[in-house]
Amino acid sequence: AMAGVGGGNDFQWCFSQVKGAIDEDVAEADIISTVEFNYSGELLATGDKGGRVVIFQREQESKNRPLSRGEYNVYSTFQSHEPEFDYLKSLEIEEKINKIRWLPQQNAAHFLLSTNDKTIKLWKISERDKRAEGYNLKDEDGRLRDPFRITTLRVPVLMPMDLMVEASPRRIFANAHTYHINSISVNSDHETYLSADDLRINLWHLEITDRSFNIVDIKPANMEELTEVITAAECHPHQCNVFVYSSSKGTIRLCDMRAAALCDRHSKFFEEPEDPSSRSFFSEIISSISDVKFSHSGRYMMTRDYLSVKVWDLNMENRPVETYQVHEYLRSKLCSLYENDCIFDKFECCWNGSDSAIMTGSYNNFFRMFDRNTRRDITLEASRENSKPRAMLKPRKVCTGGKRKKDEISVDSLDFNKKILHTAWHPKENVIAVAATNNLYIFQDKIN
Amino acid sequence: MVARGMKRKLYGSDNGGGSVWESQLQSVLDISLDKFQRDQALVEPSLLRSVLITNTLRQVQSVVKTHLSGVSFHPKLHTQPKKQPELLSTLGSIPAGHSASLCSLGVEDMEDDLMAWPSEEDLSLATAITGILNDLDAALDDDCGLSVPQRLPLASMENLPGDGRSKQNSTISHKTDGCRASILGNSSHMSNYLQEAVIDDLLLDIDTNVFEAEANSVSPCAFSFPADQLVKYLPPFSNSSAVSLTPASPPMVR
Repeated sequence: AMAGVGGGNDFQWCFSQVKGAIDEDVAEADIISTVEFNYSGELLATGDKGGRVVIFQREQESKNRPLSRGEYNVYSTFQSHEPEFDYLKSLEIEEKINKIRWLPQQNAAHFLLSTNDKTIKLWKISERDKRAEGYNLKDEDGRLRDPFRITTLRVPVLMPMDLMVEASPRRIFANAHTYHINSISVNSDHETYLSADDLRINLWHLEITDRSFNIVDIKPANMEELTEVITAAECHPHQCNVFVYSSSKGTIRLCDMRAAALCDRHSKFFEEPEDPSSRSFFSEIISSISDVKFSHSGRYMMTRDYLSVKVWDLNMENRPVETYQVHEYLRSKLCSLYENDCIFDKFECCWNGSDSAIMTGSYNNFFRMFDRNTRRDITLEASRENSKPRAMLKPRKVCTGGKRKKDEISVDSLDFNKKILHTAWHPKENVIAVAATNNLYIFQDKIN
Repeated sequence: MVARGMKRKLYGSDNGGGSVWESQLQSVLDISLDKFQRDQALVEPSLLRSVLITNTLRQVQSVVKTHLSGVSFHPKLHTQPKKQPELLSTLGSIPAGHSASLCSLGVEDMEDDLMAWPSEEDLSLATAITGILNDLDAALDDDCGLSVPQRLPLASMENLPGDGRSKQNSTISHKTDGCRASILGNSSHMSNYLQEAVIDDLLLDIDTNVFEAEANSVSPCAFSFPADQLVKYLPPFSNSSAVSLTPASPPMVR
């Protein structure tokens, strides 16, 4: 159990809901590839390998339906990206949604950015609960009326109708990335956003689709000299001129867009010196950062590499202020994990609303939470077995050697096909969303 | 770069014999090459993945290079097998951390022999390795996803008698005979072996078990031959969408 958001209380995570098919046979297209709460936490979006976006909306708690207790139900589903074919290079562009990022809400409609490997789209999700009736030029089923038959003029009136949620693509930002887009991030100015691929980062204006500014370019003149790629990028939550990007060599660069038009030269360079005693052939691969996230406060950032999560103080470049081991027991298995490609898995990480806790996924459908204040950590599992409504989750433990205690699971029994790569934490409450392959689990703190 | 004699530290938890380290090196090399080749066969391999795998291959190469340049082959081993035990016990007394170079041992007999190391051996060895690497290049360039590249016959590399695929440590005398056989160009063993020989086999075979008893167990290659030749031909990282390795003079990896 961990200190709660309010401080002092322990979390008691309980199962709330699970979305998705129960089938053992998972369709590739249904595999969830990104999960994101919006700014208020009212909406929860998921993207999948099939290019679809599903948005869940939280039910208003009401006396009429006390049991629903803030449940998330499907609000809108739409096909964001379709598979494309690049005829020039003769290759198929996957429709898999790599990232979804919400825009802050400015009116009744909701906006989000979704991206696949090459193209970013701005979607407007709006509700329609009224319909205009009594048009002059067309009749009720939409057929045009014969203008000569119109003898009177009337004002159409708005009539209520069943709620309909529509998603429409408002902008398509295409043809700006040669390599695969790994990140998008909305700027705090709410007007611009950045998109990053393996070698470049571009800055866009949300209104302008036919051009973007390239702000980072690490492509060497000779590709054979390439030894490092960009793995993630994010805008600072408050300073609209600041962003960071992480690399495959475990470094993070913080850039200031005021300093130069091209931010190839960083303002700050974060790297932890390597521990020579733990060096192996896999040191570089496991140091590759798979995710970087600023804290809500903007004072810290968190990075996820293969075995650990690190919290960095933006004012200290030479080492992280906190390091949390996610699954250190895998260190002795790196060669096997290299062979079966698991070492290349890209785990994400997230902060809770108050920045007091962080969460990240692991294998065997385990996910881990760390309390930054108490330094306590917990391992939980997303599984159908623990899916009774409001059932409290039992902490899990991996046995690393010696005698396996009851309820512990040995490292060799872990299912490496069940990986939790994507998790999200409600911005204000203790509600978390965990993507387990094709299922989305929602857990809530009992106190909620 | 790994310091001479410090190889063990690459696998901190592993305090076993050098053969464990070698087999790990071999595994990493095998797996990396396999992945590299498979990725090259894809129309659009992931750039991140390619970079990480290529960097791993370069690391292996760098380790091999360090050891190749740090260890000389002792000719006594193939000319005077009887002296093996004596030599080995001498080598065995080298404490960890010392250079594996035989020159620094101060064992009197050895120095002269080292001086007398015939240069033709160097050349033929280098040529053979070049041949293998060119084949690897060519296979990759082929872009048809062959998992095992064809090999040119080795002129004088082979020193493992019998089953060339065996990765087990053989006894010293056994090894010595093998050395002699290979240097004399015994091709009957080679053709079988060569069908499947890959650079990793090469590295493993060239060597090492000769110094098995040495505490600080040793490099994959007991011969002294220009490491440049070897390292030069490991495949460079190439643009994902165009496999364009130039066998003639591949720009290389530093």
